[in-house]
Amino acid sequence: MKTERCCPELSRRTVLGAALTGLAGATLSTQTAFAAAGAAYTGDTLVVISLRGGFDGLSAIAPIGDPAYYQARPSIGVPKNLVIGGDGTFGLHPALAPILPLWKSGKLAAVHAVGQPDPTRSHFAAMEAMENAAPGTSLRSGWLDRMLGLTGATAPMAGVSLGHAMPARIMLGSSDDVAMTGIDRFTLAGEDKRPMAAALRAMYAGAPAALAAPARSADRALAAATKVKNLEYASTVTYPATELGAALRDVARLIKARAGLVTAAVDCGDWDMHEGLGAAVKGQRMFDNLADLAQALAAFTTDLGDALNNVTVLTVSEFGRRVRENASHGADHGHGNAMLLLGGGIRGGKVYTNWPGLSPGALVAGDLAATTDYRAVIGELLRKRCGFGALDGVFPGVRPSDFGLAVAK
Amino acid sequence: MRRRRERAEPECMTTTRRTLLAGSAAIAAGVLVEMPAQAAPAGPVLLSDDPIAHLLRRATFGATPESLAEARELGAAAWLDRQLQPGKIDDAACDQLLKRLPQAHAAPAAVRAALPEHSYDGFRQLGQAIIARAAWSERQLFETVAGFWANHLHIAAPSSGVWDTRGDFDAQVIRKHAFGRFADMLRDAARHPATLTYLDQRSSTKAHPNENYARELMELHTVGLVYDETDVQDAARLLTGLTVSRAGNYAYDASRHATGPVDILGFRHANGATDGEGVALAFLDHLAKHPKTAELLARKLCVRFVADEPPATLVTRLAKVYLDNGTAVVPVLRALFTSPEFAASTGQKVRTPFEDLIAAVRALGLRPERDGTKGLGTLYDILVEAGNAPLRWAPPNGYPDVAAIWASPAAFLLRCNLHLNLAAGWHPKQLTRPADLLRSLVSVLPATYGELVDALAVRLVGTRLPAAHTAAVLSVAGKLPTSGVDRNVAGHAPYLIALVLDSPSFQLR
Repeated sequence: MKTERCCPELSRRTVLGAALTGLAGATLSTQTAFAAAGAAYTGDTLVVISLRGGFDGLSAIAPIGDPAYYQARPSIGVPKNLVIGGDGTFGLHPALAPILPLWKSGKLAAVHAVGQPDPTRSHFAAMEAMENAAPGTSLRSGWLDRMLGLTGATAPMAGVSLGHAMPARIMLGSSDDVAMTGIDRFTLAGEDKRPMAAALRAMYAGAPAALAAPARSADRALAAATKVKNLEYASTVTYPATELGAALRDVARLIKARAGLVTAAVDCGDWDMHEGLGAAVKGQRMFDNLADLAQALAAFTTDLGDALNNVTVLTVSEFGRRVRENASHGADHGHGNAMLLLGGGIRGGKVYTNWPGLSPGALVAGDLAATTDYRAVIGELLRKRCGFGALDGVFPGVRPSDFGLAVAK
Repeated sequence: MRRRRERAEPECMTTTRRTLLAGSAAIAAGVLVEMPAQAAPAGPVLLSDDPIAHLLRRATFGATPESLAEARELGAAAWLDRQLQPGKIDDAACDQLLKRLPQAHAAPAAVRAALPEHSYDGFRQLGQAIIARAAWSERQLFETVAGFWANHLHIAAPSSGVWDTRGDFDAQVIRKHAFGRFADMLRDAARHPATLTYLDQRSSTKAHPNENYARELMELHTVGLVYDETDVQDAARLLTGLTVSRAGNYAYDASRHATGPVDILGFRHANGATDGEGVALAFLDHLAKHPKTAELLARKLCVRFVADEPPATLVTRLAKVYLDNGTAVVPVLRALFTSPEFAASTGQKVRTPFEDLIAAVRALGLRPERDGTKGLGTLYDILVEAGNAPLRWAPPNGYPDVAAIWASPAAFLLRCNLHLNLAAGWHPKQLTRPADLLRSLVSVLPATYGELVDALAVRLVGTRLPAAHTAAVLSVAGKLPTSGVDRNVAGHAPYLIALVLDSPSFQLR
């Protein structure tokens, strides 16, 4: 639909291009730690939660030690006396209370002032760039597809996106992945009465590849899904009755069933709060959204138990929000943002950042400057937790960050 | 923007298993379409290249025996002319059916009087009205084009704050101008509370302009991604004042208007007056008539009706037709459907889940339920599961329209499940069905099962399936093409019918 990019003003690009940690020379190699093709993947299951619409990292992980924060956000800044956890510089939004125990036990961390190299403020261009994660290259696949391919995983359920029947763009590409609304709904009608699956298999055997591929993936995944469904899923954990809750419950089932899950992609929506982002109290949009997110994550980690030791969860969003609030108790599109990291191998309980500050001189076109490329953060996780060496096959030309945000597996 | 998810379209793709769908060239006409004998096709023939059948697959939600007969009798040109004058087509039966959905297009005041505040009933009725019209309206081209515009100036339903105005937007902005001028549609959209609410314009003020509508107006509704941030800021200032009254109607509030010069994509204005409504409308008109808007709309229409990767020549020509005709859409549609590029595009589009469902309902000859809307509600819910229910795409960019974005294992299964549920009459149960579905599709049962599947395919798809596919269909009944039709045929019928609809051929339009 869109083939043209707007050119952000030079100063913006220059500042960001120069400041972003993680931009190395664009060398291309696909060498990974998985020397032997088909070697069993032993890294963490990587769960990517895409926060759609522009997550306000400045509310979630509030820079309470920065006076400019309260000047810019008189009505929606999170007051110092309401934050939970954190330190004198940053505080967690009170709606994150359900995951505060994870913060305190060192399983949950945040990275701040994170962003993309190209600071477009178009949701659609920004999301496309975030999921492709290889701007300026000819790669058009999704980064999770490349990651999946390099692990050599071949299980029918190695890469799953949950919550939608539509394929996830982050998994666009040559690796086999399965998009599903939910495991229990992944069924073929009539199969209990007639050999429907076999008939479809035969009919699509010689079909054009574009039509045959989803049919083949469905065929493979049906058998695997049936196995997962047949396993006794004994869990006393109650997930919130939200789309995210249902999706994470299914991710947990796949992990516990040892279905060969390497990576799962889940969406969590409605963060575009031009209006009514609101104060940090229940009933306001940001509070309620964060509470939903935190409740689902809390249920997921409780459900996993010790299995969390081999799971890493991260959140990404296409961009953040403007530092200054608007007249609608909201904030318009901005750039620098926060990511949440959760897992047994995360060195949690702290905010990792090269903090640029929020004083007017430190802002970039009214935004928190992004001092760390989000891909560098994911790169550090891929190396520490997923057995990757060079990252070029996933994020061409990106150097991983060196925050020490996870324990090497 | 209210979003549950975002999946923008890829511009192009690497060589992947999905690439083949991204480009129309991938579904090469020679592979999928019956060609003259001298051009021996390289693979199995999936669709006939009959131009009338092709036109109906694109300009309607699926051919029926009646529509095919009518188009053959009139000829393509006269059929198109007739469809481009929907007022002359009797649609009384469909209009009567729509009376069961009184809030679907009701005026805001009527919705407020009929429903509790923030009720979702209006959204649901509107979604069901769109399904009903797609399936059973005689004004098929109008409905496909109305669907195009609704997706272009997309306002999600449900989304917050438009429970009472969304149906009115569909009636008074989209349907009113669907065969009119885009400039008029854009102007009325900008002065409608649903737009101003969904894109946050209603709360924009002089001191703190809200940029959301300004950005999406340019990026999504008109010129595309050719603006820069200063354009957004200027447009956001210029549009301040467009808002919603306490009563929930469009209002212009001059006290909110930010004055001062603007320079946006060739629109320069001093913007000195407190009442800036006229300038805002002039800006909208400028955008509607902008060459980049012409190009964007021409391209989107081609993606809708021709191919996922539209021929550049056609896009260029249609953009010129659009500008030459003062943003009127009918001349553009006429040029599109009579173009050689359109004629050459057989089989280059894949049905979305919505199109698949509607085409299946139409092909099977299913009719509306006797009373009530339970069956329609079930169809709506099936589409919710498939991620393609009318208007339910959360972000403002509208549903994607290329096959690669929809091709997934779950979508494939949902399609197959729907076909069997419809063919067997299991779900929904309420739709009016032929007394004997098999006999209504194939009036005289042939001697062999192979001939039976051929007859079913000709009726449902428009051409016989490739031999291997016919054999695959019959495997579900444990039959060979040469097996004689026996008395078990009635028991096999739902599965055979469903599998014909599951075929690669039926996925194409």
